[in-house]
Amino acid sequence: MQRRTRLVLAPLAAGALLGLGLTACAPGATTTGAGAGTDASTELTTDDITLTLMSTPESGAATEATIAAFETEHPNITIEYSQTNYEDYNQSVNLNLSGDQSPDIVLLNAVANTVKNKLVLPLDDYADLYGWNDFFPANQLNQWRVADDGTTLGDGGALYAAPAGFSLVGTYYNKAIAAELGIEAPTSLAEFEAALKTAKAAGALPVQLGNAEGHAAFVVQLLGQGMSGADTANAWAFGHEGATFDTEANHAAAQTLTDWQKAGYLGDPTTVNGTDLQGAVDNFIGGKGLFLVDGIWDAGKIGEGLGEDAGFLPFPGENTTGIGTSVAYAISTQSEHPNEAAAFLDFLRSPEASEQQFAQGFMPDDPTVAVAEEGTLQGDIVAAWAEIAEADGLVAFNNNATATMNDALKAGTQQLIAGQMSVGDFIASIQADWAAAHAG
Amino acid sequence: MTEPLTRTRGESGRVTGSSRRTRRGWSSLLYLVPAFVFYGTFTIAPWVQSVWLSFWEWDGIGAATWAGFENYIKVATDERLVVALRNGLGFIVFYTVFPVILGLLIAAVIAARPRRGSGFVRTVLFLPQILPLVAVGVVWRYLYAADGPINQMLRAVGLGDVARAWLGDFTWAYPAVGVIGTWVTTGLCMMLLLAGIQKIDPSLYEAARLDRCGPVRQFWHVTVPGVRAEIVVAVTVTLISALASFDIVYVTTGGGPGYQTIVPGVLIYKLVFTSNEVGLACALATVLSAIILVFVAVIGRIGRRGA
Repeated sequence: MQRRTRLVLAPLAAGALLGLGLTACAPGATTTGAGAGTDASTELTTDDITLTLMSTPESGAATEATIAAFETEHPNITIEYSQTNYEDYNQSVNLNLSGDQSPDIVLLNAVANTVKNKLVLPLDDYADLYGWNDFFPANQLNQWRVADDGTTLGDGGALYAAPAGFSLVGTYYNKAIAAELGIEAPTSLAEFEAALKTAKAAGALPVQLGNAEGHAAFVVQLLGQGMSGADTANAWAFGHEGATFDTEANHAAAQTLTDWQKAGYLGDPTTVNGTDLQGAVDNFIGGKGLFLVDGIWDAGKIGEGLGEDAGFLPFPGENTTGIGTSVAYAISTQSEHPNEAAAFLDFLRSPEASEQQFAQGFMPDDPTVAVAEEGTLQGDIVAAWAEIAEADGLVAFNNNATATMNDALKAGTQQLIAGQMSVGDFIASIQADWAAAHAG
Repeated sequence: MTEPLTRTRGESGRVTGSSRRTRRGWSSLLYLVPAFVFYGTFTIAPWVQSVWLSFWEWDGIGAATWAGFENYIKVATDERLVVALRNGLGFIVFYTVFPVILGLLIAAVIAARPRRGSGFVRTVLFLPQILPLVAVGVVWRYLYAADGPINQMLRAVGLGDVARAWLGDFTWAYPAVGVIGTWVTTGLCMMLLLAGIQKIDPSLYEAARLDRCGPVRQFWHVTVPGVRAEIVVAVTVTLISALASFDIVYVTTGGGPGYQTIVPGVLIYKLVFTSNEVGLACALATVLSAIILVFVAVIGRIGRRGA
C-alpha cells in the first residue's frame, strides 16, 4: 500500500516542481510599447512600411474596402488585413495586443481590460490634430473615452478608439400586418401599446422576441431610457459613480415587459426563451410578429425577406432614444508607426470609407453619405438615425456596462419572462453585477 | 532486445550484491521517460500551474496580486458556483447511471443472440462517440427547437400540448441537455460491456442453464458479475465526462435559461474569457478536479473490493 502511494506521489511532486519552474513567480507582466514614445504628428513617413490590422468578418467588411482606398492615397503604406470570428476575436484580442507580434490597429468591441492594461494608445493628440471632436457629435465618441481607472467611460476620459461606422437598435415592423389591422406607425409608447392590443385581438403575434441569448434586454433598456432620457441611461451604462439601475424608469420598464408577457403580446414564454435572435428574425420574416426589436445589422436580411413590407422606427418613448455603438479601431501601444496608424483611423471618416460603411449596413461616420429612398427600409433607418441624433438620444449598450453584464441580463430577462423572478429581484441582480465591477 | 535482458537477469540471479539490480531498475525506468516528459509537460505542469494561479487575483494580462484562499472562499459561497457544481453532479444520472444500465442491457441482448444486423446496431449506437461534441450540440439544438423535428413529431401524433421549446423551458432544459449526454455515452458503455461479456466463459452460462436459470437470472448471476471490471471502467470514464461536461451545454443552452443548466466547465470558461477572473476560474477548476479525483478513487476502491 505504502509503495503504491509513493509511486503516485513521485510524478506528482516532480510535476509540481516543473510547473512552478514554468510559472516562475507572480503571473502576468507589464509591457511598455514602442508607440508610447512617438510624438503625435500628421506628417507621415515616406518610407515603405507595413501596418497590420485585425478585425472580425462582420465589422471588417467595410474596413477591407477602405484599406484599398487608403493605400491608393498613400502608396508607401501597406495595410495587412486579417480577421477572426467575433467570439474568438474577443477572447484573443488582448493576448494579441500583449504578445510579441502585436497588430498595429485592432478592432475594439469593448473597453474590457484592454485600456486598464495599457494595451492601446490614448488618441486625444490625434483627435486634436485631425479635428475629430468637431466632426463627431460628443455622444458618438464618449463610448471610447475611458477615465484613469480603466473602467469608467464617457465624457472627460481619454479617447482610445475611433469610429468606423455605427450600429443602431430600434423597432422593425411588418407594414403588411400593420396595414391589414389599420395600425399607423406608433410615435408614442401609448400608441405602441395600443397597436400591441389591436394585434393581439386580431390573432396576430404583437412582438416577435427571441430571448435564448438575452435580447429582451434591448426591450427593457429602450423602455427604460425612453422614460428616463438618454443621459441618465448613459451614466449607468458608462459606469459613472453613483449611477444605479434601481430607478423608477427601469422598474417600470421591467414591469412593462412582464405585463406584455402576461397579456400574451410576446407569445409563449418558453418559446421566447428557447428562440435565439436569428430564429426570431426568421420568424419575423415569415410573417410571425408585428414588431421586432433588433439592430440594423439584420436590416439586410429583413429587407430581403420582407421587401417593401419592412419598416423601421426608433423605439417609441417619451424621449427619442436608440441603443448604438460604433465599430471602432484602436492603435496598439506596441505599434512602431502610430502616426501612420492614426492617419488610417482618420481616413475612416472620409466619404470613401463612409460609403463602404453604409453599403455594409452601418450608419456611416459621415452622415451626408447616407442617402436612401424614402419609404424603403434603408430610408426608414436613415431617418431614425437622424431623429435619434437630433434628440441626442444615442445610448451605449447596457450589455457592455460590465464584462459580465451580458450574462446577467440574459439570465435575468429569461427568469423575468418565465415568471421565475420578480421585477424587484431582477433590478437588484443587475445592479449587483454593476456594483461589483464599478465599486469605488 | 529481449536476449541481453534475459541474460542479465540470469546472471544477477547468481551474483549477489545490489548494484546490478539497481542498474536494472534504473534502465527500465528510462523507458518511461518519453511518456513522462509528455505527460509532465502537457498534463501535470498546466495542472500545477492552474493550481498556482488559483491563489492569485489575475485578469489574464496585467500584474497579479496574491489572493491567498480568497478565491476558494468565493467558490464555496458564490451561489452561481454552487449551483454549477450541483448541476454537474446531477449530470452523473444522465452521463453515467442511464448509459451504464442501457449499455449493459443492449450488450446482453446483442451477446445472447448474435444475429445478422447486430453489427449494424453496434455501429449506430457507437456513432455518437466519434462525432465532435460541438456538432452533437448543434444538431440537438435544432432537434429541440420550437418548430424542430421533435415537436413536429409530437404534434403529428396528437401530443401538441407537450410540444415546447425544450431548451428554453425552466423545468425541461436540464433533462433535455442530460438526454444528449445519455445519447452520447450509451454507445461507449455498450462497447465496453460487450467486450466484457464476450470474454465470460460460456461454460458458466451452460452451468447456469443446467441449474435452470432463465435469461434474467443468467443476466444477474453470470453477466453482471462477469463484467464488473468493465462496469468500473465505464463508470469512471463517464463520471469524469459528466463532471467535466462543457461542449454540449455551452453549445445548446450556454447555461440558460436563467442558470438552470450552468455547469462548472461552462462557468470556468466564462470566468476566464468573459469576466477575466483567471484566479477564480482556476480555483473552481481545482475544486472540480479534486472532486473528480475523490469520485474516481471511491469507484476504484468499490471495484477492487468486489474483485
